[in-house]
Amino acid sequence: MTDHKLLKKLCAASGISGDEGEVRELILSEIRDHADKIIVDNPGNIIVFKKGKKRAKTKLMLSAHMDEVGFIVTDILPDGLLKFACVGGINDSAVFAKQVLVGKDKLPGVVCCKPVHMLKADEKGKNPSPDTLTIDIGAESRQEALKYVRPGDSVVFDSIYENKNGRIISKAIDDRFGCLVLIEMIRSQLPYDMTFVFCVQEEVGLRGSAAAAFTAAPDSAIVIEATTAADMPGSENEKKVCCVGKGAVVSFMDRASIYDKEYFRLAMDISKELGIPAQTKTKIAGGNDAGSIHKSRGGVRTIAVSVPCRYLHANAGLISTDDAKAVGDLVRELAKRICEQ
Amino acid sequence: MEDGDKVNTKKMLRILCEETGVSGREEEMYDIIKELTEGFSKDIKQLPTGTIVVTAGNKDADRHIMLDAHIDRIGLIVTYIGENGFVNAEPVGGMDLRALPGTVVTIQGKENVTGVIATLPPHLVDKEKGMTRDDIRIDTGLSDSKLRKLVSQGDTAVVKSFFRELLNDKVAVSALDNRAGCAVIIKAAELVSGKLYNVKLSLVFSSQEETNESGASTAAFLLEPDEAIVVDTGFAKQEGVPSGQSGEMGKGPIISIAPVLSRRLTDRLMNTADRLGITYALEVDGGMTGTNADGISVTRGGIPCAVISVPDKNMHTQTETVSIKDIENTARVIAEYIIGGAEK
Repeated sequence: MTDHKLLKKLCAASGISGDEGEVRELILSEIRDHADKIIVDNPGNIIVFKKGKKRAKTKLMLSAHMDEVGFIVTDILPDGLLKFACVGGINDSAVFAKQVLVGKDKLPGVVCCKPVHMLKADEKGKNPSPDTLTIDIGAESRQEALKYVRPGDSVVFDSIYENKNGRIISKAIDDRFGCLVLIEMIRSQLPYDMTFVFCVQEEVGLRGSAAAAFTAAPDSAIVIEATTAADMPGSENEKKVCCVGKGAVVSFMDRASIYDKEYFRLAMDISKELGIPAQTKTKIAGGNDAGSIHKSRGGVRTIAVSVPCRYLHANAGLISTDDAKAVGDLVRELAKRICEQ
Repeated sequence: MEDGDKVNTKKMLRILCEETGVSGREEEMYDIIKELTEGFSKDIKQLPTGTIVVTAGNKDADRHIMLDAHIDRIGLIVTYIGENGFVNAEPVGGMDLRALPGTVVTIQGKENVTGVIATLPPHLVDKEKGMTRDDIRIDTGLSDSKLRKLVSQGDTAVVKSFFRELLNDKVAVSALDNRAGCAVIIKAAELVSGKLYNVKLSLVFSSQEETNESGASTAAFLLEPDEAIVVDTGFAKQEGVPSGQSGEMGKGPIISIAPVLSRRLTDRLMNTADRLGITYALEVDGGMTGTNADGISVTRGGIPCAVISVPDKNMHTQTETVSIKDIENTARVIAEYIIGGAEK
């Protein structure tokens, strides 16, 4: 079952790529008493080994990433406004006019630009590009701003968390949801020995997982993710990629990986056999840590199971609680079957 | 300024901004206005257009001043219930549509329903092309049956934003236009409470300014004041805002000069501010002001009007920002204007 209280805590934690410390501490506090061995490696990944009832025939690693998309302060202007860069593939059109939290102390700020009333004819009807935007923390000069903020400080969306009527709306579902699935497995009795990795820097090039997979040196891997669902007005048929409410998403291929064919079939068979709703993607879209894991060392047989999420790389994503449960159920069974093969 | 005052002003502003009350739904503000004004007046009523009027002071006085602040906020209205949890909505008032993609909103349905304004993922969309009023879809994530049970055509929605305190006593939240103005007139009335010997004061929390300015002029017709001070939000200085049409945030109110306004009242406002040592900026318009004063000034046989505004950044988005100091100082100028005038 999905521990919604913990998911809320995980999503509320701040952790853009390269600054995952707060998320890492939270995860460590949740798993400390349930693991047999925990390593935090140089890049900041958490690598966890946990004994199960039996020794696994195939050494399996389960992976989720801790980082979220957000922003980084690049400069402070003379009038105290902050310039910033996007960290990760942010949905550009969803940046303007959002509330944000800046730096370690989570100073409130707002993303602003010229008011709509003052737009010239050729500026109307266009989304302001993020490089034309600034963050206002209320400072009145560069000097004043520097008392609170430095270039290089992290910025996250100041967003809601709501779990009601069978769906969750929150920031950072990508991939705190995957972290939750891993934590819940670590806190349960496992049928086989397994390794779990909570990775850094997925959103800036699938980087942490490369190091984690090298250290864990698995035979096989399951990546647990949140993936783009484009099932909304203006997107027809295959362009929806996957749909909220239609179950766990198991991909055969995306922009970063061709997944293990047998594991793909196995996942689909389990879905049928146990009545766990599952779907596949209808476009070769997206990519995740599987892209670096499958080519680690001499190669790792890899599959990804994801929760479909609308508005994935923005301030408020939307998922279905049924889909979340389906991902958890499917991953646990798939892990067991891979270990016993 | 007392620290306690500042806290109270913030608290009041927060209560005002976190409430709904999109244009045409001003009745949703009635209880709050009643609560915030009952310290100095129990005389409150709602007019046919939705405008809320609180009367204070000496009802038989020769001088009757109307303080107007529109209470409606911009928002959305549900026009069509679609499938898979999506509904179509259109703006009420001049929403900045650039701010909408991905924004969280609350629909005032049978119960409050949270939704996200749909935005296609980057690989399916022309990044530059902005949202138009025809393609606003709210994603409630609800099943079709639940959606139809909770949400109906004509329900309004407001953008969800947190009341956040920025540095230098600034606050950022949606609906500051014009809940900041509402806070100003309440604050001003508090300051003159018990001192209104020869003034009748009508606090007019007017409806539908953002759509057609209909609430204020109809109220002025019914109330027949001798003069009206209109309090709204004005442009704070920021990128792209010309000087002469804006005021620097934290440096006091903006006082308007325009052909449609009474120069006598305007001068008196400026003199009052000068006397108090409160700095202000001027906004000079060549014709109408774009505020309720345009209508009030030609109501009945004509009512002299002045406009004083609180500088507001990021107008018509969920990140509007004002300075608490500016609200306090605007209220002080108005209070002194009322009392000072009464003494003469």
